[in-house]
Amino acid sequence: MSTTTSTAGGIDRDDLARLAEHWDEPRSLRAWFTTVDHKKIGRRYLVTAGFFFALAGLSALVMRTQLARPEAGVLSPDEYNQLFTMHGTAMIFLFATPMLFGFGNFLVPLMIGSRDMAFPRLNAFGYWVFLFAGLFMWASLPFGAAPNNGWFAYAPLNQEQHNPGLHMDVYALGLLFLGISTTSGAINFIVTALKLRAPGMSLNRVPLFVWAIVATAFMVVFALPALNADNAMLFLDRRFGTHFFDPGGGGNVLLWQHLFWIFGHPDVYIIVMPGLGIVSAVLPAFTRRGVVGYPLIVLAIVAISIVSFGVWVHHMFATGLPQLSYSFFSAASTIITIPSGIQIFAWLATMLLGRLVLRTPLLFVIGFIVTFVLGGFTGAMFALTPFDQQVTDSYFVVAHFHYVLLGGALFPILAGIYYWLPKITGRMYHEGLARWAFWLFFIGMHVTFFPMHLIGLFGMPRRVYTYRGGLGWDVGNLISTIGAYLLAVSLLLTLIGVVHAVRRGRPAPADPWEGDTLEWSAASPPEPYNFPVIPRVHSLHPTWDERTAESTTTGATEDRILSEGRRTLFTSELDARSERAAEMPEPSFKPLVLAGALLVFFISMLLAWYPIAIAAVVTVAATLAAWLWPVRRPDEELGVAS
Amino acid sequence: MSVQPGPRVRLAGGLLLWYGVLGGAVAWAVHVLAAWSLDELACAAGSDHVSGIPLWQALGVAVLVPALAALGSLLVAALVWQRTARARSAGTDNPALGRSRMLAVVGIWANLLFLAIIVLGGVAVLVFPPCQR
Amino acid sequence: MTDRGGAVAAATGAEALSTELPVGRPTSWWGMVMFVATEATLFACLLGSYFYLRFQYGPQWPPPGIEDPKLLKPLVMTAILLPSSLPVMWAEHGIRHGQRWRLNLGMAATFVMGTSFLVLQGTEYDEKLHMFTLTSNAYGSLFFVITGFHGLHVLVGLSMIGWLLVASLRGGSFGAHRHDRVRNVAIYWHFVDTVWVAILFTIYLSPRL
Ligand code: HEM
Ligand SMILES: [Cu+2]
Repeated sequence: MSTTTSTAGGIDRDDLARLAEHWDEPRSLRAWFTTVDHKKIGRRYLVTAGFFFALAGLSALVMRTQLARPEAGVLSPDEYNQLFTMHGTAMIFLFATPMLFGFGNFLVPLMIGSRDMAFPRLNAFGYWVFLFAGLFMWASLPFGAAPNNGWFAYAPLNQEQHNPGLHMDVYALGLLFLGISTTSGAINFIVTALKLRAPGMSLNRVPLFVWAIVATAFMVVFALPALNADNAMLFLDRRFGTHFFDPGGGGNVLLWQHLFWIFGHPDVYIIVMPGLGIVSAVLPAFTRRGVVGYPLIVLAIVAISIVSFGVWVHHMFATGLPQLSYSFFSAASTIITIPSGIQIFAWLATMLLGRLVLRTPLLFVIGFIVTFVLGGFTGAMFALTPFDQQVTDSYFVVAHFHYVLLGGALFPILAGIYYWLPKITGRMYHEGLARWAFWLFFIGMHVTFFPMHLIGLFGMPRRVYTYRGGLGWDVGNLISTIGAYLLAVSLLLTLIGVVHAVRRGRPAPADPWEGDTLEWSAASPPEPYNFPVIPRVHSLHPTWDERTAESTTTGATEDRILSEGRRTLFTSELDARSERAAEMPEPSFKPLVLAGALLVFFISMLLAWYPIAIAAVVTVAATLAAWLWPVRRPDEELGVAS
Repeated sequence: MSVQPGPRVRLAGGLLLWYGVLGGAVAWAVHVLAAWSLDELACAAGSDHVSGIPLWQALGVAVLVPALAALGSLLVAALVWQRTARARSAGTDNPALGRSRMLAVVGIWANLLFLAIIVLGGVAVLVFPPCQR
Repeated sequence: MTDRGGAVAAATGAEALSTELPVGRPTSWWGMVMFVATEATLFACLLGSYFYLRFQYGPQWPPPGIEDPKLLKPLVMTAILLPSSLPVMWAEHGIRHGQRWRLNLGMAATFVMGTSFLVLQGTEYDEKLHMFTLTSNAYGSLFFVITGFHGLHVLVGLSMIGWLLVASLRGGSFGAHRHDRVRNVAIYWHFVDTVWVAILFTIYLSPRL
């Protein structure tokens, strides 16, 4: 391992040696498959989500190539259907959320001063499931069996009689499979943030990024079941002849739409919220001050995540609700803009009051604010019902949500990549290259999506594989395609920048940006145990705070070194008072086996090999039973009254 | 200050704090669910009465009661804010005070937001005939 | 009067208002509670779908050709499933005092009760299948999917209980200081019970309202 932290004060070499002995993993194939280290898992999430992003991005590039000029023949209608569906589905489910969960996995334990997540093996399991579910869905594309009904898969088009073949079975099963990963990851974040914070980190000292991740996790816990129920019913309808969405049998197609948007609207915030958290994490380092109005941002995070559950009906304008019912929801839709606005103004104030250090991460943050505000502006236009009805299902909508999603998720993700790259890899990136990537990205983004507003207003519908020339759409489409290629180049530059940093980058110091949160107190890259001494937190900006720093050097105490065994500290829920030192689990194959058994289950359900599916279920149950099997302990230790 | 509060009192205080923080949110959730399903079901059944009461009055109840609950929550949050401020200026050195104070600030603003949503819903009840499509 | 006034004043003092609550729960408790929360939401979605389809369907529900569900058997099932939480509680309290026999006995009792519930559900299905199936119409789909999904949860709960019982009988598993798993299984089982009440109301009682 690369670096050693200075060994002053209360921690000595023996402690460090013992910590290394308990936490280090050998560099072997076995260790690769069994690791439960949140940093490795976080890195894997990032790389895997990046890979799915590349696939989804390439799909978009192919679509844009097809649409560059009228009546092009690059894609057949059927291929186009599969591509835009896979693009949307993968961007939302396989890229945005897992990418942000990857940052969360890497960073949350570091930011709260812990040595791992609350459930490290569950964490590993979540990653494997994510990987397998993603491969499961993408693998259908070469077979021409990919989902083809748009990312929200409306009924009745998702029904067997209208859409035969495996397409929508892949969609339903793939998302159910993925849901296991997302749910377990979310629960892990919540429990980690509640119980593993360093002593002294009471709720008013929790970093905003952690607040954002936890709020996201709560939204996942309460929103995802709606999607899961929906997809389970869809699969039953298609495969086993139930009638949930089939009006002929007493079902109702709107049931799909309702359940989907009960999930879908919170999902917009599930995607954007961690991005906003990244922004709040990046700003202090490059403005040299804390984010203005910490309690207000916490309020915004909490309020948005709650209100987001009460606005789903606005996706269903044309479904004939009584006006009064509708207005209960639009009241919420209106008010939800206030906390979003609070956040934007708090960031602007932070930049105004701080001393700006214009490095690439900050550039991406500024790009985020510009783009996101523009997206919000076109979003506000939809509130005018006649306008909404006019542009629904046109390219105007496509432009709008790409502004929101690229603004709210992709810009922050890129900011996060550059910001934390030194921490994750231990290497600095090349600033010049990064600036090129930023400007190309910013320009490419607007060149791609701004014209879509116009061709949308000129009447071009979304989800068409081609169009006739001379309708006033040609120039806009061509410009948009050029923009897409610019975007591709900029993302390639980012990739090159990352690879270059890993290969050739200058070694990064522990705290290259003079950041405020605890991850900058750990080595770059962090030791397997993160912190030789778990800090005692005295303020909201622990790394800028003398007393917190002192608690890990001269003030280090045995109860925070915990070098006897693989241990970390559990603290109380609200005020983070020390409770007990807890033993953390060793590496294990079981997460991989469990995820593999689930993969077999979903594949055999897809292909209707039911006996194999049953065998897989038995394997799942047996693995779980073995996983949770209690170790045998002597009766005195257990406390058994004889 | 005087003696340490006993366990019952502490429990009450802790619950009160959470009422101050989340009361408005819960009230709003109840309001949306109740008002929406009342309106939807009554209109689907083709009547503007709910077990004898005119629909708009029933809806009014589904606005007023949650609004009062949110108001109470707002007052509690303000109370917590004020008490913790006083305890701090009196120099009580309890780290939990900073935490409950922050939660109080969050609670005050959150309750204002949720109260606003509920009140807007109430205005809608007065403006729209319940079953107009 | 003054006494009560004093209590109110104390509860609204800064000290009391800053009481840490919740506090001291183990990670596994939180994990199980969050899991149950997401599962409960799933059931809420299913039951919500029931009411949604029912009210969209029209005046006659269940649809023509299907009679209102009979109540005797489901009530008997309820009378078996609900009390089955009691032995679990008794067992959990027992193991907190290190009394392993109470754990074993209580879990065994619950296991028997849960199994009888499933057997009764099997006979109930047998009756219903003569009248309608999963594929007859939306009513049939809802009936079998909702009750079947709950039955699946009972089965999972029973597997957990059986697993606990085996681990406990092996020895060296649980005691006064180690009973997180027992508590978590108990939480899950109480959840499965509670959901049944909601299902009983939705599927069996609400068509008669
Ligand atoms: C990186 C450059 C991107 C390009 C060039 C691009 C381009 C496109 C195109 C051409 C469509 C199809 C429009 C249609 O035929 O209706 C589309 C749809 C979509 N995109 Fe993107 N996109 C990009 C990034 C993203 C990102 C980052 C996200 C989300 C995080 C995203 C989410 C979606 C969604 C949800 C759809 C709708 C799919 C559907 O209609 O079902 N896109 N995009
Ligand atoms: Cu929405």
